[in-house]
Amino acid sequence: MASAMTAPGSVLKRKDSMASAPVREGDQLIVTPLGAGNEVGRSCVYMSYRGKTVLFDCGIHPAYSGMAALPYFDEIDPSTIDVLLVTHFHLDHAASLPYFLEKTTFKGRVFMTHATKAIYKLLLSDYVKVSKVSVEDMLYDEQDILRSMDKIEVIDFHQTLEVNGIRFWCYTAGHVLGAAMFMVDIAGVRILYTGDYSREEDRHLRAAEIPQFSPDICIIESTYGVQLHQPRVIREKRFTDVIHSTISQGGRVLIPAFALGRAQELLLILDEYWSNHPELHNIPIYYASPLAKRCMAVYQTYINAMNERIRNQFANSNPFDFKYISPLKSIENFDDIGPSVVMASPSGLQSGLSRQLFDKWCSDKKNACVIPGYVVEGTLAKTIINEPKEVTLMNGLTAPLNMQVYYISFSAHADFAQTSAFLNELMPPNIILVHGEANEMGRLKQKLITQFSDKNTKILSPKNCQSVEMYFTSEKMAKTIGRLADKTPEVGETVSGLLVKKGFTYQIMAPDDLHVFSQLSTANITQRISIPYSGAFSVIKHRLKQIYESVEAPIEEPDVPTLIVHDRVTIRQESENYLTMRWSSDPIGDMVSDSVVAVILNISREGPKVTAVAEVEKTQEETAKMAHKVVYSLLVSLFGDVKVVEEGKLIVTVDGNVARLDEKNGEVECDNDSLKERVKTAFHRIQSAVRPIPLSAA
Amino acid sequence: MGTSVQMTPLCGVYSENPLCYLLSIDGFNFLMDCGWNDLFDPNLLQPLSRVSSKVDAVLLSHPDILHLGALPYAMKHLGLTAPVYATEPVYRLGLLTMYDHYLSRRECSDFDLFSLDDIDAVFQNVTRLTYSQNYHLTDKGEGIVIAPHVAGHLLGGTVWKITKDGEDVIYAVDFNHRKERHLNGTVLESFVRPAVLITDAFNALNNQLYKRQRDQEFIDAILKALNADGNVLLPVDTAGRALELILILEHYWSQQHLSFPIYFLTNVATSTIDYVKSFLEWMSDSIAKSFEHTRDNAFLLRHVNLIINRDEFEKTAEIPKVVLASMDSLEVGFSHDIFVEWATDARNLVLFTQKGQFGTLARMLQVDPPPKAVKVTLSKRVPLVGDELIAYEEEQNRIKKEAALKASLSREEELKASHGSDTNAPDPMEVDASTSYVSSGSGLRSAGHLDVFIDGFTPSTSVFPMFPFFETTAEWDDYGEVINPDDYIIKEEDRDQASMQILHGDLDIKIEEGSARLLLDLTPSKVASTELTVQVKCGLTYMDFEGRSDGRSVKSIIAHVAPLKLVLVHGSAEATEHLKQHCAKHVCPHVYAPQIEETIDVTSDLCAYKVQLSERLMIDCMCTDIGDYEIAWVDGEVGKTDDMLTLLPLPSAPLPHKSVLIGDLKLADFKQFLASQGVQVEFAAGALRCGEHITLRKISDASQKGGSGPQQILIEGPLTEEYYKIRKYLYSQFYLL
Repeated sequence: MASAMTAPGSVLKRKDSMASAPVREGDQLIVTPLGAGNEVGRSCVYMSYRGKTVLFDCGIHPAYSGMAALPYFDEIDPSTIDVLLVTHFHLDHAASLPYFLEKTTFKGRVFMTHATKAIYKLLLSDYVKVSKVSVEDMLYDEQDILRSMDKIEVIDFHQTLEVNGIRFWCYTAGHVLGAAMFMVDIAGVRILYTGDYSREEDRHLRAAEIPQFSPDICIIESTYGVQLHQPRVIREKRFTDVIHSTISQGGRVLIPAFALGRAQELLLILDEYWSNHPELHNIPIYYASPLAKRCMAVYQTYINAMNERIRNQFANSNPFDFKYISPLKSIENFDDIGPSVVMASPSGLQSGLSRQLFDKWCSDKKNACVIPGYVVEGTLAKTIINEPKEVTLMNGLTAPLNMQVYYISFSAHADFAQTSAFLNELMPPNIILVHGEANEMGRLKQKLITQFSDKNTKILSPKNCQSVEMYFTSEKMAKTIGRLADKTPEVGETVSGLLVKKGFTYQIMAPDDLHVFSQLSTANITQRISIPYSGAFSVIKHRLKQIYESVEAPIEEPDVPTLIVHDRVTIRQESENYLTMRWSSDPIGDMVSDSVVAVILNISREGPKVTAVAEVEKTQEETAKMAHKVVYSLLVSLFGDVKVVEEGKLIVTVDGNVARLDEKNGEVECDNDSLKERVKTAFHRIQSAVRPIPLSAA
Repeated sequence: MGTSVQMTPLCGVYSENPLCYLLSIDGFNFLMDCGWNDLFDPNLLQPLSRVSSKVDAVLLSHPDILHLGALPYAMKHLGLTAPVYATEPVYRLGLLTMYDHYLSRRECSDFDLFSLDDIDAVFQNVTRLTYSQNYHLTDKGEGIVIAPHVAGHLLGGTVWKITKDGEDVIYAVDFNHRKERHLNGTVLESFVRPAVLITDAFNALNNQLYKRQRDQEFIDAILKALNADGNVLLPVDTAGRALELILILEHYWSQQHLSFPIYFLTNVATSTIDYVKSFLEWMSDSIAKSFEHTRDNAFLLRHVNLIINRDEFEKTAEIPKVVLASMDSLEVGFSHDIFVEWATDARNLVLFTQKGQFGTLARMLQVDPPPKAVKVTLSKRVPLVGDELIAYEEEQNRIKKEAALKASLSREEELKASHGSDTNAPDPMEVDASTSYVSSGSGLRSAGHLDVFIDGFTPSTSVFPMFPFFETTAEWDDYGEVINPDDYIIKEEDRDQASMQILHGDLDIKIEEGSARLLLDLTPSKVASTELTVQVKCGLTYMDFEGRSDGRSVKSIIAHVAPLKLVLVHGSAEATEHLKQHCAKHVCPHVYAPQIEETIDVTSDLCAYKVQLSERLMIDCMCTDIGDYEIAWVDGEVGKTDDMLTLLPLPSAPLPHKSVLIGDLKLADFKQFLASQGVQVEFAAGALRCGEHITLRKISDASQKGGSGPQQILIEGPLTEEYYKIRKYLYSQFYLL
């Protein structure tokens, strides 16, 4: 196995030439991030092995808009992709899917989990409505999303599916409801794509599973790099403390959070905290997301994808039926009269309600803004974490940033401890880092290299469009079954039969067994043709004998004159006016029958004229001489420098390599193995071309 | 040689008895289903009791009594300890089905074959899988992969595929190829050529009406009774076919805006529907789709009312109504009681949707003509009164006193012991505390719960104990409070009540008020039985809503799957014999229908060995793509590397082989093809006449049906250009190797 990095793009363009000159030290596996390579956002990873192509995720970059937000789809030919697997519904993992399905030549199949599919539609419809870009900049519209829904197929956790020889299944990833890690198995090489995952169980989600099998390649997220999360209890305490103290001082708390995913977790925390603190009951909590409200039905239905805790609660009452949290439609409906807690999207404070509230509240130092998760580079939320003195408002004015800014990460991404434990458990020989900001990823890579220094593990962090090539020698095992396998052959025996390949499994069987072990069936076509002929039957016999070695009358005497040519073609004189010819279809039979037809027609045309043909019996020697001549001239045309040394010995010289060929037995002596092989093969082919086709084979 | 496979039926062959089979694959024993009948007849389990300790794994296929009913009993009394595998719905609905049966039985008898605890214990043992999940067994079963696949029939219903060394054993009973309202059809047809197929002959002799027609007749029958001022009783199972019926009724009621009330009456009706609502991913594509698009859960019922106890049902208005009540056997449960009540009124209708199990009341009523009168036992649990009650109370008091005395003794001992370790405790109060405990008589069991530590509550230490103050001194160790086991020992007499309480706390099942009343009812009760003869005047109808493939489809599915060996189980003797004859003739020569406890060996006589394909051989292989397959002719020489046989290219040019034509010619398709090519073509006397003179026929060998042997095709005609043209078209239908 070897791996190498090449300049961006070059491999993909070289793909065709690679196919024509196959590399024999193994099959090439290519992994190319089209997005999320050394960045966070627009996750999209291309993978190809043995002619099968898989694309993982299809996201957009939240910090850009329009075409610029898409992954680099130009680098690939969408029509070649067999399977597209989407890990979860977040925009940076799924939002370019309608574009990819509707606006490109993609014609493969798309899979995601049930919950992801249900939320995907709501989320993207909302995204289309909210994103304020001009019509021509729109990547897709509502209709495209609806159409894409029909093309998306669902997969359940652990369910194994096979498409085109690609087997894949998914594990719980723990990041959000329905989030999955995909394991793909192509011809025995396994690739794990984690997507976003978390190994920590929280209020409603399960922790990511550790796959049963170790993958050959692990494509893993590195969002948090080498950072470590605080324990969940401490985080939750900080969160509730900050909120409690802010509102008790009369301030307002803004929590910019993405509508789905972490928001549900935070709401569960807040609702529980409020119910334990009666003194807070008069402080309203608003959750400004009609979208989340619509998604509640999904959360209530797919409880089987959540952890035991929430399922137990579910048995008594719906835990997502919050007591202290009221929905907020828009800023117009919001009475900003006193302390309150508002959770609003988007999480990056780019625009929308969270930004409107931020602009309103940022200059009052009593207020607080709690950033509860990972924030993408280039967004305002990222900027205010560094607590600048001033911020630019949406209307272009600058305002002082007096409000308290807290960053308490509830992000359900793995931290370094989880990542390293996860990889330690799996021990993949190849690790590819994606979905992480370049610096974080670099640090993680260094740390992992130290950790796995004695394990010969390759750790790679390709940039966008930079391909990673690896080579896997997959053993092709075939199972010989049926009649052919009556006994296991000894070394040196030959095995001849049909090699049947389905997916990546091979079977060798006798043609007669084909229908037993596959859905295919074989057929015999018997042909019977009648030929007008009114001459004497013996004339035909005479003519045929001149051409064919074996022209026999059948052993048991038939009622009408009959001839059998080479045990293949039976000719019968059915009446005075016509003959019938019967044979079973195959190339040789067809050829023989054609020639017989030609002979018979010629006889009819020529009439009774029978010419005695001189029996020119060529001597064996002459034939051999002739053959030798042909062999020689063909070899010259192939290799150029060919010399006859002695009787039956030839010397072929190519680029200074000398090969000696013994014409009698086909033996070749040569130091250069490849030349030896070539000369040998060429000689065999010439031999079979020069000699007549042996009709005896059956 | 292939994997060794043996199969021993334990119950349910040549009869419609519950299903239970022992399948042994290379020495690993699977118990395929573990069913019981509605009568809970322990005699049926005799064969199982003899092998239960050998079982290594139990695979369940459907959540009904016939497929998993005996599990609690077998685990408790027969020494069955193996892990159980099932899909999530089979687990959940199976659990509810068992509860329902237990509660129904308990209501009318002193049922003691198993308890709710036993049910819980069994189901805690279940490993839940999803459809097409390849689960790799470990240890003894190393190398065996089991995978559940969609079976139809019931929610979560499973066709089990067991694979070892590339050989498949498929267990498919009670499957349904038809798509229904809430379920997808089985995927059984996608399996081709398994080594062994185990299937049932249950429906081999039945043929069904078309679905639409059947649905219409069903609704018509119900509406006719309702419009004539009668009530309709549908005896249903707890959580199986009832779901389909509910959806059918929902659909018609909302389509026709009907106002007759519908009730779904089982002990666990609300839980059932709550769980079913969260099983959308197991249901049909259309249900999943409608949820994705509109977020409308199909089981958000608008017309069907869920009721879980008799009292509530009594309170419903006296207007014509439809009641779906468990059990489908009419032996016990709500359906039994309602039947007895309604049978005497000619306006009412009892509509059976499932064939009743043998020997049950439902089966008796399904005969033609129906009996005029049936004897039934009406049993009811009634509170004790008068002398009985007094006697009972005296007995209970005696037990309580004894227990209290014992507890106080042990308590004192415990206090003394804890006193030693807890020096902070104020001495003089202690005796008071302990005595007041016992004298307060609040029950010995509550003593253990009084000082439960409440999370977040930190007792203030600044306050001094004041009178009357009970300092409960509890001893703590690393694991929390030290528990006195005696507190938790449950007296024999009230084991059932207590177990129900445990159930209440332990399980994430909503105990509905009704069952809770039954469960937690502390008033002493007994079962009172009255035998009476019921004149059956009401209408009795049977319609097949069992959701199983009918005889014709079963045959064609088996023929399509074309197993190398076929084992037939579960079905009346006639049906089994019929299907056996049919399959032996048309499907495969190896058809087995073993008797109970007869072990048959279905090890495949397939020979196989593995070879490695060398790269050099593969370069020269010219593969032809045929559908899902790629086929090539190989000639290779066997070599050996590292104990592996390797196929190397031949050193010399291979001899030409007999050419192979691959393809499946359908004359009808070929006719269309020729017509599209502008050739005059017609069928005449079983042959295809192409153009003027050419005829094409398939020579079928009658004895070789079912796709065995190559096709024989004969093309004849005079020597003309047309002949060669047609031949060219014919060749184009095949792949030549």
